[in-house]
Amino acid sequence: MRSKTGQVSIMIVCLIVGIMIAVQFRTTETYYNELTRESRLEDLTLKLNSITEERDSLAREVVALREKISSMENSGQSKELQEELRKTNMAAGLLPVQGPGIIVTLDDSTRNLQPGENPNHLLVHDLDILTIVNEMRSSGAEAISVNGERLTATSEIRCAGTTILVNYNKVAPPFVIKAIGDPEMLESGLSIKGGYIESLKLIYGMEVQMQKSDRIEIPAYKGSLRTKHLSPVEAKNNKKKVE
Amino acid sequence: MWLLGLFCFIIGLIIGFQVPILLPAVYVKYTAIGVLAALDSVFGGIRAYMEDAFDNVIFISGFITNTLLAAGLAYLGDRLGLELYLAAVVVFGARLFQNLGIIRRYLLKKY
Repeated sequence: MRSKTGQVSIMIVCLIVGIMIAVQFRTTETYYNELTRESRLEDLTLKLNSITEERDSLAREVVALREKISSMENSGQSKELQEELRKTNMAAGLLPVQGPGIIVTLDDSTRNLQPGENPNHLLVHDLDILTIVNEMRSSGAEAISVNGERLTATSEIRCAGTTILVNYNKVAPPFVIKAIGDPEMLESGLSIKGGYIESLKLIYGMEVQMQKSDRIEIPAYKGSLRTKHLSPVEAKNNKKKVE
Repeated sequence: MWLLGLFCFIIGLIIGFQVPILLPAVYVKYTAIGVLAALDSVFGGIRAYMEDAFDNVIFISGFITNTLLAAGLAYLGDRLGLELYLAAVVVFGARLFQNLGIIRRYLLKKY
């Protein structure tokens, strides 16, 4: 029965099957793309973890090598030079140091949010840490670290999105700020009436704890020294300028 | 005859790739079984056409019910926690090859 209607129906059905297969193709294709995107995410996470580990181990190596260098330099040089080098390294943050001082622990407020209040007010910000560090310095702190990051002459404390960066490393609450110096002086400088820490506690309800200690250890700066644009001023030029 | 079918099939493919419709990812498996059943019906129809045993009503109804039944079977299997769609895959796959073989023989005889 080779009828015209038979041909037409076969053609129509073929058309429908073609459409179905094409739609199916496209759907599975996008579906698989999504699957591969997910596996890519896992890939990147793994990579990030391994790179972070590598960075940490390299940072440890830098500190160890620096110690080695300073011990090598120490041998075979005059006592005064050794002492000078040691002092400079300590002040520059290249040597781990210890001494009496104060530990300030800073954490986000646990107070309930008032209606209409900005939730940002209850979080510790980069400016809070910066101000506390500044007050520590003005009270005679000789070495400061924030969550184990030694503050050097080039260290920054800044906000990057939702995290705070110190020495280009992320730090997270609770923030432990250690300072070596005269403990009494540091404490009275920080807890002065109407001072910054008091206002943090009273107005925003931040968790601030101060603890004096006879022995605080502050690690060395783990990053690299970047002196791209620096060069010492020649002695001659210096004289001329003074004249 | 089969050239006409192929021509329509290609036109259908082109339309399908242009149409901006995407199936929900949950139903992809069921529609895949449906597509397999539809393919089987088409080859069965072409074979019947070559054997001069073509019946329009049987062809159209077979196409629709086979497709829906296969998709429904896969769905039921998923609800029961049974890989029932494998049955459809095996049956339709075997029939597909059978029909293709018969069509091939007819074509060889013809040319």
